[in-house]
Amino acid sequence: MSQEVEETLKRIQQHKGVVGTIVVNNEGVAVKSTLDNTSTVQYAGLMGQLADKARSVVRDLDPSNDLTFLRIRSKKHEIMIAPDKDFIMIVIQNPTD
Amino acid sequence: MDRKAELERKKAKLQALRDEKEKRRREKEEKDLQEAKAGAPSEKDTRKDLDEMLSSLGVAPVSEVLSSLSSVTSVTSDQSGQTPDASLQPTLNGQNTKAKKQQTLSVVQVQVTNIQPKENVTYTKQTQTTSSGTHELRDAHATDYYVLTFGDAQGDDEDHSLSHLDHGGFHSKLPPGILPHGLPTVKEVAPAITPQEQKKDDIKQVKELSEEQKQMIILSEDFQRFVLRSGRVMERALSETVDIYTDYIGGSESDEGLDEKSHARLSLNRIFYDDRWSKNRCVTSFDWSTHFPELMVASYHNNEELPNEPDGVVVVWNTKFKKQTPEDVFHCQSAVMSTCFAKFHPNLILGGTYSGQIVLWDNRVQKRTPIQRTPLSSTAHTHPVYCLSMVGTQNAHNVISISSDGRLCSWSLDMLSAPQDTLELQQKQPKPIAVTCMSFLHDEVNNFVLGSEDGYVHSASRHGNRSGIIETYEKHLGPVTGISTHQSHTTAEFSHLFLTSSIDWTIKLWSLKDTKPLYSFEDNSDYVMDVAWSPIHPSLFAAVDGSGRLDLWNLNQDTEVPTCSVVVEGAPALNRVSWTPSGLHVTIGDESGKIYVYDVADNVAQPRMDEWQRFGTTLHELKMNTNEDFEDLDKSMSIPQQPLSLTGSSVA
Repeated sequence: MSQEVEETLKRIQQHKGVVGTIVVNNEGVAVKSTLDNTSTVQYAGLMGQLADKARSVVRDLDPSNDLTFLRIRSKKHEIMIAPDKDFIMIVIQNPTD
Repeated sequence: MDRKAELERKKAKLQALRDEKEKRRREKEEKDLQEAKAGAPSEKDTRKDLDEMLSSLGVAPVSEVLSSLSSVTSVTSDQSGQTPDASLQPTLNGQNTKAKKQQTLSVVQVQVTNIQPKENVTYTKQTQTTSSGTHELRDAHATDYYVLTFGDAQGDDEDHSLSHLDHGGFHSKLPPGILPHGLPTVKEVAPAITPQEQKKDDIKQVKELSEEQKQMIILSEDFQRFVLRSGRVMERALSETVDIYTDYIGGSESDEGLDEKSHARLSLNRIFYDDRWSKNRCVTSFDWSTHFPELMVASYHNNEELPNEPDGVVVVWNTKFKKQTPEDVFHCQSAVMSTCFAKFHPNLILGGTYSGQIVLWDNRVQKRTPIQRTPLSSTAHTHPVYCLSMVGTQNAHNVISISSDGRLCSWSLDMLSAPQDTLELQQKQPKPIAVTCMSFLHDEVNNFVLGSEDGYVHSASRHGNRSGIIETYEKHLGPVTGISTHQSHTTAEFSHLFLTSSIDWTIKLWSLKDTKPLYSFEDNSDYVMDVAWSPIHPSLFAAVDGSGRLDLWNLNQDTEVPTCSVVVEGAPALNRVSWTPSGLHVTIGDESGKIYVYDVADNVAQPRMDEWQRFGTTLHELKMNTNEDFEDLDKSMSIPQQPLSLTGSSVA
């Protein structure tokens, strides 16, 4: 089973243009990461907060609603965030590659 | 003696004191009398009352304040005599009676105006300021960043304001309980910091997981479920290659490739291939989900190069998203020869194995091995199951499987331990039919056609007084590899038609009503491995052969040569062909585990209005020609058993 997890993460990481994959728990601490430690901590903390905020925005607008996916397109990267109850998956992609 | 004298002296002193006291009392009585005459109320009583009132309001009694006010000069006190405040009266009263008398008059005069400042005993605002003025930790409220203060800025403390009395202006001489009135000043208060916020910040900085903790999380089921689910979503998101920033005004990147593509009648859309699960495995069958038309399940034979990997693999592919990886992977110990979705259960997938077992996978369960399998017993299959199909309706459906020893079993999905029904498919002589392929007639649960290894084609039925083989048709010269019944769509007019492909290099068109083939297509120069009618077009079908060729035949256009045909790159031997439910794509599986999805151009795939009518005419012509042909044949060459397929092509 844990092998499948590895497989999935590896597949994502091998996808064209993917710079890094991070899985963060609900306390904002990275559980798995393919980036170096500094950027991991930075991404984990900031993206965790952003996802929390985004979720509360969605919920405030409509209490029956919930955040399912968050995509940030920037000049250099595309950051994709899949939030869940206990974990958040962050994938940083370089779309121009 | 001495003491006596002293006692005497003391007594005299006491007496003197008493006298004096008495005298003073009398004087006072006189004075009171005088005052009473003057009609003034007893000052002392008023004062007492006032004190009581003030203290009940929580303000320092006047007497106390007065002592602190003692520094006030008599000049100011004269002035204050005219101030419109009754509470100042006692001050003057204590100093001289003359002033007091003047004052009583003035008090009466001004009392009317004096009420207003009294209203100004504007309460609590000030106490608020004092408590919140400092940078203390407070509970946050939404709006308390500013606090209104009346009076001057330093008036936030009583003592403070009193100390300024000496050089104060007019209002500063007002006693404490009453606030000087003026413009309210706005004071900024530091933003509130909630205790939680502080705490959170602290935690975030401190917390760090140890390797063991991380490992624990990674091994937890929650985490695994999350990664599998989110990973799937993420992959779909990643493979969305559409550039939403396409600038049509700026750049002039030509889309020539696209134009070219649209002209082609058959163009390769994508290839499904997984290095681990499908490499070197022959694709043995396809099926499409009825609930999710974009999902396709493909079964694979074993990989001889990797004996340690599971023999049988079933992969679910998604044609909707551009991701290259499988949606689901399932496996079992024996090679899977046939597979299908359980029509009415979106989560279940069935597989027929080489060993004879029927296995059942469930994509809700997080394991890749079957959740159920049928037993290997003489009551069920003991030979490879090449045909698997699900027939019936939502409420009454069965899984039909046929093994290569000619045994047909029908199963209920609820009970896979024993077949509900078995049927031996035999030709007239008690010889089992080695079934290689089977297809139910369109919208039928009873009648089906099957092809066998010895080249014969049979029709059979499951129930009725003649269950089993009904009819045997003219034979192919080699094993029948594929069979496909017509998808009649609107009319039942063509439901008797079916196609077979064979190793003898031909495709034959049959009618249930005729034991001789209606037509034989002989354009291929290799084993024809599979054939499939289009689900939307009445006269269109696809066929694949061992030389890597994919042909589309439109019988209304031509029966001699295929309408369009492509050779798959690398010319792999193609084993299976299937249409997507939309009828706009053809998927083919080759012997090395690749599945190709080809787009069929609209003008080829979509039927025109008159296509059904024209197909009727075409069939009629075909029939006429074969009859003629037979007559010709009988006349010219009287060789019995001459296979039709070798001569049929001469007829238009």
